[in-house]
Amino acid sequence: MSKTYKVKKVIVKTEYKVLAALLIILAGGLVLLPKYEKNSGIKPEIFLKNVISTERYVTTDLIADKIIKQDPNLLLIDVRKKEDYDSFSLPNAVNIPLAEVLSSDSEAYLNQDAFDVVLFSNDQCYADQAWKLCNRLGYKHLYVLKGGLNEWFSTIINPKEPKVTDSELAFKQYNFRKAAAMYFGVGNATTTTKVKPKKVIKLTKKKKKVAEGGC
Amino acid sequence: MGPLIPNGVIPPEWNFVIAILIGIVFGFSLEASGFSSSRKIAGVFYGYDFAVLKVFFTAALVAMIGVYYMDYLELVNVEELFVLPTYTWSAIVGGIFMGFGFVVAGFCPGTTLCAAAIGKIDAMATMVGIFIGIFMFSELYDFIEPLFDSSYLGRITITDSLNISPYWFIFLFAILAVITFYVVDVIRKRVKKVFY
Repeated sequence: MSKTYKVKKVIVKTEYKVLAALLIILAGGLVLLPKYEKNSGIKPEIFLKNVISTERYVTTDLIADKIIKQDPNLLLIDVRKKEDYDSFSLPNAVNIPLAEVLSSDSEAYLNQDAFDVVLFSNDQCYADQAWKLCNRLGYKHLYVLKGGLNEWFSTIINPKEPKVTDSELAFKQYNFRKAAAMYFGVGNATTTTKVKPKKVIKLTKKKKKVAEGGC
Repeated sequence: MGPLIPNGVIPPEWNFVIAILIGIVFGFSLEASGFSSSRKIAGVFYGYDFAVLKVFFTAALVAMIGVYYMDYLELVNVEELFVLPTYTWSAIVGGIFMGFGFVVAGFCPGTTLCAAAIGKIDAMATMVGIFIGIFMFSELYDFIEPLFDSSYLGRITITDSLNISPYWFIFLFAILAVITFYVVDVIRKRVKKVFY
């Protein structure tokens, strides 16, 4: 009996035992592996990339336009405290104070696919913090109102009149903002320049003269 | 990184293409290992051939160990994997019907198609039976619905409901599998051999 034949015989005989032992060892390895706390949510590198990117910011003009057009995909979330929210906020905004962003009640608003959620606060600081908390968990469709409500007041509610030398675009934007302010019920619609009363020129119809004489 | 399609590593359009490719390989392996013979599955019930039980037990075990090693190495997130929702009573009643069909026909749904593809007439008859079953189920759905939707437990797993660590569960499952393999081998040796 050759040596290789003997080895082969042993392998064939013990094949299944070896395989069974391998399975148990591998399964046991899982039990014995040192456990570590896993990061929930997206990876740190991706999070950092998202934080640096300014893609999350939306302008007040865009939001005003969406509110006026009653965009059904828009969901505004006010992350200020409840008192602030009660005193004033944007139309149809939902109040989720920064401290409650991670609570289970607010998850339905923040972790969804149906709406484009725009977070805002007085400045963009709190909204940014809320955005970071949510982005870390991998929530999608979240945006931050650039400049927050302060920017809202200085652009939409009380827009600055452009200089005469400004571009046509600036004037168009100004007109839009004025109109938007009127929509939100605060604009001073009477800023229109006084129109001089038109002089009414009375037209006196010339009486048709009956042809005289005969020819 | 994984699961690959939900995380956008592979575009979702490839879903069905990959499914077809895996299906072809699965069918080929079934046929290559002789599972398209109805005697093979019937053998589990009569105790002369436990290949089916061994193969599926091993497949489950290898997949479990593999998935959890990959989870440990952060290649796959176990939390994101699809879990079928559990309806206790409909699973039990459906399981009894299915088991009955298994032993009567000698085929499971996958091997039926496999065997029909290589021209086995009993498999084709089983396929007709499957479609009659589907038709009857659809027609009787209003009547069956209360049972079908009852005792919903959600997307639970054994480790959730027993509240044990998945690693320990896999380890115990591996030991259980090896013991089962040994026991069925003993049974097979005692039962009269069937040659086919």
